[in-house]
Amino acid sequence: MIDQSFDQIFTTFEEISNNFKRTNQYFDILYDSLSAVFINKTPFSEDISAVTKTSGIVARTFDGTWKEIALDDFSNLNIIVEKLPKVVNKGEEIAEFEGWKLNKELKTKINPKDIPIEEKLKKIRDISDFIQKYDKRIVMCQIKYYETEITRIFVNNEGSQLRQVIPRLRLFIMPIVKEGMTIDFDYSVIEGEVGFEILDELTDTKLEQIANNSLDMLKAKIPPAGKFTVIVDPGMGGTIAHESFGHGLEADQVLRGRSYLKDKLNKKVASEVCVICDVPDMGNQLGSYFFDDEGIKAGKNVLVEHGILKNFIYDRKSASLLNTTPQGNGRRESYAHVVQPRMSNTYFEPGDYDIEEMISEIKEGVMCNHSYFGMEDPIGGGMQCTSKKGYLIENGEKTKILKSIALSGYVLDVLENIDAISNDATTLHGGTCGKGHADKVPVSDGGSYIRIKEVLISPG
Amino acid sequence: MSNEKLDLIEKSIKSKNINEYEIFLVEGKAYESIFLKDKIDNERDISNFEYILRILSQKENETGIGLVRGNSLDPKEIERNINTCILIAKNNLSSKFFFPGEASFPDVSILDKEVIQDPVDIKNNLAEELISEIKQYKEIQSTFGRFRVHINEISLRNSNSLDVSALKTYFFIEFSLKAQQKGKLSEFWPYLFIKERNHLNFSKRVEKWVRLAQDSLIAKVPKPNNNATVIFSPRVLKNALNPVIGAHASGRAHHQKLSRFNIDDEVASDNITMFDDGLLDGGFRTNKWDSEGSPRQRTEIIKNGIFQKRLYDQKFALIANLRSTGNGVRTLTGIVDNGITNFEILPGSMNFDEIISEIHEGYFIEQFSDLTPSKLSGAFGAEIRNGYYIKNGKFENPIKLGNVSGNVLKMIRDCQYISKEREYFENTLFPYMVFNNLTVSS
Repeated sequence: MIDQSFDQIFTTFEEISNNFKRTNQYFDILYDSLSAVFINKTPFSEDISAVTKTSGIVARTFDGTWKEIALDDFSNLNIIVEKLPKVVNKGEEIAEFEGWKLNKELKTKINPKDIPIEEKLKKIRDISDFIQKYDKRIVMCQIKYYETEITRIFVNNEGSQLRQVIPRLRLFIMPIVKEGMTIDFDYSVIEGEVGFEILDELTDTKLEQIANNSLDMLKAKIPPAGKFTVIVDPGMGGTIAHESFGHGLEADQVLRGRSYLKDKLNKKVASEVCVICDVPDMGNQLGSYFFDDEGIKAGKNVLVEHGILKNFIYDRKSASLLNTTPQGNGRRESYAHVVQPRMSNTYFEPGDYDIEEMISEIKEGVMCNHSYFGMEDPIGGGMQCTSKKGYLIENGEKTKILKSIALSGYVLDVLENIDAISNDATTLHGGTCGKGHADKVPVSDGGSYIRIKEVLISPG
Repeated sequence: MSNEKLDLIEKSIKSKNINEYEIFLVEGKAYESIFLKDKIDNERDISNFEYILRILSQKENETGIGLVRGNSLDPKEIERNINTCILIAKNNLSSKFFFPGEASFPDVSILDKEVIQDPVDIKNNLAEELISEIKQYKEIQSTFGRFRVHINEISLRNSNSLDVSALKTYFFIEFSLKAQQKGKLSEFWPYLFIKERNHLNFSKRVEKWVRLAQDSLIAKVPKPNNNATVIFSPRVLKNALNPVIGAHASGRAHHQKLSRFNIDDEVASDNITMFDDGLLDGGFRTNKWDSEGSPRQRTEIIKNGIFQKRLYDQKFALIANLRSTGNGVRTLTGIVDNGITNFEILPGSMNFDEIISEIHEGYFIEQFSDLTPSKLSGAFGAEIRNGYYIKNGKFENPIKLGNVSGNVLKMIRDCQYISKEREYFENTLFPYMVFNNLTVSS
């Protein structure tokens, strides 16, 4: 691909877009570019991978169905006009929004691109050495550093002309510990739409805590199986909000007749202590952006308000068909992936309980910490979330540390059984979300501590 | 076309007097139909191109490995990529490394010539065939689906005179089939890559999907059992075994002292014989050579329960002073990982129905919500999405929800039966297997 400036790209895209009249059909075109540095460090190996830039373009139109062409070569753009169909009087099938203009680069305090590779390596080697030397039972500390900068340039035949540059950084630290035949680990992640300054958070005290969290896993017991009162930490609560509930709210599932929440709008779906939001316009979180991949401005979507389902999560087409206003949730993993309604930053709003009070009221229960993964069941309303570790709660106190815990059941039962949410400030945790098993986009989720009665857990 | 691109990049590398380099190049095309219910909603043509450069900087006892990914053939961008690669190689500290050289490669075919000739037509015809098959079943509805044809041209050239290329074709299917009765909904939601056109077998596949969707409608929550006998389907086995056995059988895990497998140790029941087969006919990861140009091969990992051989990429083979087993697998970051190719388990002596008839009480799992065992410890816990409760040698009722938990490393030591029947599932050819002493909770 021959490089063009963003001004040139705007001009080229507008020329292409002019071939498709809005009254006849909706058309948009997106430029997607990625630069990245990835470092994977263990005491046994050090892998570094850089992307100076990879880029591509995707264009599509709606003539009753979507037709889409994705390509990686600017010299070949004429095939967009040649191959995409020209039709008449299909423009109203996708609701029209007023075109708008934006050209915005998210600035971080220290742009990782300004840090030489040797300095990045030194920082990571120092962290690795510190943790590795902390305790001889730490047999391997794995560190993954991933910085990306994504540029998206969008033009459509409604007059939108948009550009955003979003930097993201993630650092994952996993000290693996071994004693006798027991091997285990805990992990820590710092991340966000932030710069290299975030690594300053990793003080010696913080690194000791990360090492100790893994060492504690050597004492971890196998969790009990059965129904218990469970407190989930903000990360695990976020996974419930996102994987188990949020995916069922993606409006393409409604159009497909595949959402168990389809007929629940304005009905009670959760305990009244629950307020769940999805907010792409939320500064510096991993799932934030200024506009989505369909040129819709990022907004705020209150999904559940005091237990009542208020909104679904829309892309342009589902919002058109369901006659509502999208909040900027039409997302692509890259130019080579399809647009779908996707979550961004999804979280439970804080409640009014003190976490200590929540624990003290439990005679026999479990706390789940450190969300590990989850999986959606949009039609059946089932859920599976797994935490890396947890704690037994006995007579109002956190006691033994537990190994990985799987939590499952019907989402609506779980949400109805929430009886307390802590008053801690909302904490969000970043990650990558797939729809099913593909199309991965950066997201975050979280909240504060949540207490759920009578929920099924088992060893994870 | 790929040769011209390789020449262009190589010329630029040689102009900088770089002695050790590798160019890995992928040109991909994909053609997709996305369905809303049973109607096409989106038709997509996707072209993507990427090259990955590796440049070595030899040091006294170590090698610096630079790696850069890019897709621009603008001479300035190529030069920027090479300079970045040199800078990384200068700063990186890896174990002593060099690229593989020329070799004789086994003869395997990984392309469907008809797909190459007319991919759009093939995609449209197959998608229509699949939808027609689904429409025959009035008792279920398709809610959405995706069908894709892929063509990848992969080329590899290095400074040791290795110059190879391969054309590969494959398919992707994702469909959700919904059953409903009196306001109650259920589905079966398959998603998988399939290498061979003759493995698509829509008729048999859809018949099974429909049965699973309908049975899920009347599924019960399973009874808890702390000492359960559980049958894993080939799909479930892939998710259970590949990450755990793949990790513990790797040269990497051995070097890191994290492997639980020692050569000649008993690691599984004596009825288990397992291969990593990079040449498996119909295997999703089959190719003549691996991601860094080492010949692929068939490696016996476990024979009658005894651990036989480790799997090596070039890096960990050099550390162990051995030859690569062709297990260099390119990850999304472009880095070569010591991974698996295709796993195969030899069939057992009983057919599936005979095995079921032998089980007094047990659980058959067709699909979990998400089975992600810990690679290191082997521990897992997963929610049942589609399964059956077995009583007195028969399927008693479908089951859903409830969790199965256990440990893969322990489970493979307690395998009671292996079926004669085997199925391809992506990069596996696995039978149905029966494991004892697992926990079912509900």
